[in-house]
Amino acid sequence: MRQVWIVLRREYLERVKTKGFILSTIAIPVLMLGMIGLSAFLGIQAERSQRELALVDYTGRIGDEVARRVQSYGYEMELVDRVVALDELDRRVLEDELEGYLVLDDLTLSEGVFAYRGKDSPSALRRALFESAVVETALELHLSTMESAGTVRALIEGGQLDYESVVESTGGEGAEVARIRGIATGFAGAFLLYLTMILYGQYVLRSVLDEKRNRVVEVVISSVTPWRLMLGKVLGVGSMGLTQVGIWAGSGAVLALFGIPFIAAQFPSTELGGFLQYLPGAGDIALLAVYFLLGYFLFAALFAAVGAMCSTEEDAQQAQFPLVMLLVVPFIMQMTTIEGGGFAWMDWVALFPYFSPVMMFPRAVAGAVPWWMVALSLVFMALALVGTAWVAGRIYRVGILMQGKRPTLRELVRWVRTA
Amino acid sequence: MTELAVRLSGVTKSFGSHTAVSDFDLDIPRGAIVGLLGPNGSGKTTMIRMIMAILLPDRGTVELFGGFPDFARRSRVGYLPEERGVYEKMKVLEQLVFLGELRGLTRQMARSRAGHWLERLGLAEWSGKKVQELSKGMQQKVQFIGTVLHDPDMLILDEPFSGLDPINQDVLEAIVREERERGKTILFSTHLMEQAERLCERVCLISRSRKVLDGDLKKLKRRERSGAVAVEFEGDDRWLMRLGIRDIERVDDAHHLSAVDQAQYDAILAAAMEAGVALRRFEVLEPSLREIFVRHAGEQAEEPPMAAMGGAR
Repeated sequence: MRQVWIVLRREYLERVKTKGFILSTIAIPVLMLGMIGLSAFLGIQAERSQRELALVDYTGRIGDEVARRVQSYGYEMELVDRVVALDELDRRVLEDELEGYLVLDDLTLSEGVFAYRGKDSPSALRRALFESAVVETALELHLSTMESAGTVRALIEGGQLDYESVVESTGGEGAEVARIRGIATGFAGAFLLYLTMILYGQYVLRSVLDEKRNRVVEVVISSVTPWRLMLGKVLGVGSMGLTQVGIWAGSGAVLALFGIPFIAAQFPSTELGGFLQYLPGAGDIALLAVYFLLGYFLFAALFAAVGAMCSTEEDAQQAQFPLVMLLVVPFIMQMTTIEGGGFAWMDWVALFPYFSPVMMFPRAVAGAVPWWMVALSLVFMALALVGTAWVAGRIYRVGILMQGKRPTLRELVRWVRTA
Repeated sequence: MTELAVRLSGVTKSFGSHTAVSDFDLDIPRGAIVGLLGPNGSGKTTMIRMIMAILLPDRGTVELFGGFPDFARRSRVGYLPEERGVYEKMKVLEQLVFLGELRGLTRQMARSRAGHWLERLGLAEWSGKKVQELSKGMQQKVQFIGTVLHDPDMLILDEPFSGLDPINQDVLEAIVREERERGKTILFSTHLMEQAERLCERVCLISRSRKVLDGDLKKLKRRERSGAVAVEFEGDDRWLMRLGIRDIERVDDAHHLSAVDQAQYDAILAAAMEAGVALRRFEVLEPSLREIFVRHAGEQAEEPPMAAMGGAR
């Protein structure tokens, strides 16, 4: 065990210390958050920095209210007296005093049609805001003359579909939230599992291949049994992976718990605060960890075996193709059924141990399959892991000392038999 | 010295149609220092890899410390492969500590021994550098330290001196000699005959995957005596004619005369006295390892025979 630990520690430290690790750990989330943040920030800035808007209301009945609404969205809007000639407003637009102006007339009241005059066409966001401001104001005006105003208003606001889940154990209030949360967690989890298994699997492959290529392995193998070396390696890379995912998850949690309420407090009008309830619970994360561990070891063993049977980078690129397919295929199948439903037979496909992380985890958290199927998939994965480790260990043992041509399938079988 | 460190019997190894080692027998007693000699591609590395159980023989048996070279036996050996097997991205000291710990040293012990060796090989100031920043020669020294760090019973060194400058070759040679003094068994391969001649007690000559000769170097040389003496003197050389020896060859200042036994040696000495020449040198010539090798390896040899002397075993 001490030797496994020594190999593990080396593998872990050597990886964690590299620039690549630090970059990918910090840079990937920072980059993604940064891009989202930056584009949101720039968007808001662009909207705010625009010059003043104006409004001419020929109906004389809704101008005040429309201007008030538009102002509440954060724009400056000046209500212009209707005796001012449009030529005058056009001149102000051309001289960049005004960004543009809205023109409301009788047609606005009857059909919700109005004009925007400016040098540039309004952005999609602005268009939507203007439309809602004008249409809502016009509606209010009409409603105020009706008896059943309250009913009409409620209906116009679109009503509401209350989802009542008939899946066991959940249901009642918050069922809709739980459903969305399940889908979101499942999607994010499947993606994370897919990404990490491919990424860390390749790390293992590279590590095995490098050691074999520079013949360090011949020295090391006189002091460590191949099995311990492989185990130490896989555990080392796995620990690094856990560290990385841990940092990502930790910073994500910090962001969710402190960042989102902070942002929500800055923009009270948005419903960002409600987003918190869609974040996964501790149970989901524990299940993710179980699938991650089983899945990682399952694939790491395979990638180690592939690394051991190759002698060159090009070889390894080719030889790992089936493994990558083993990850890509379930991922594609999963993407076609994001909501966890889809074809019933896919629930059974998800029991295939190599597909389970990407396919069964999202089904489990979305509550799309009964619990015994989830449990069964974990049992299958554990059994597959034992078998895979046994075969991979044998291939590894023969392969790391073998130079030259990659073995054929028949030779591989012989390695496994005789090792 | 009955106990054997290594025993190969009838070992054969082929790669496809190429036979790398053919029907090979070799005994290496404990405490011996043995040179494995042969041109490139003659099978030295394959043999060493079989001793380390990196390769398994197609036929025959390999024994290390009296049994199959299993994990426990292999860990008593410090093995330096021909290729420079180092973790290039690791720092020098960390790498050595890692290797030391793997072989059962504590962290402190590995660290202090590695420090000591780095000092000795003039690499102390490089201990914090990554291995890839070092020159090839320095990397080789680091690797050598990794081989001896855990104080193994036996050293198996595949071409340990190749690629080193003469000064570092001497340093390494001195260390190998020292380890031998401390009772270790040493097997190393080289294609540098002169080096083997300086260092070895026993040699094993390989050519074309077969063993040509092996045994104690001194005995081997005596047995391989070419049947000639070298004589150097001042004065008239007519007395040589009177000896009745037909094969006389002038080599620089010396004359090489063919003579095979003590009676002939005595006759030559007596003749020289009688002629009254001032004798400067009288030496029974022993062939160099290179000559022995060339003689036995035949057309496989690297260079044509240097001295045209006959003689069979």
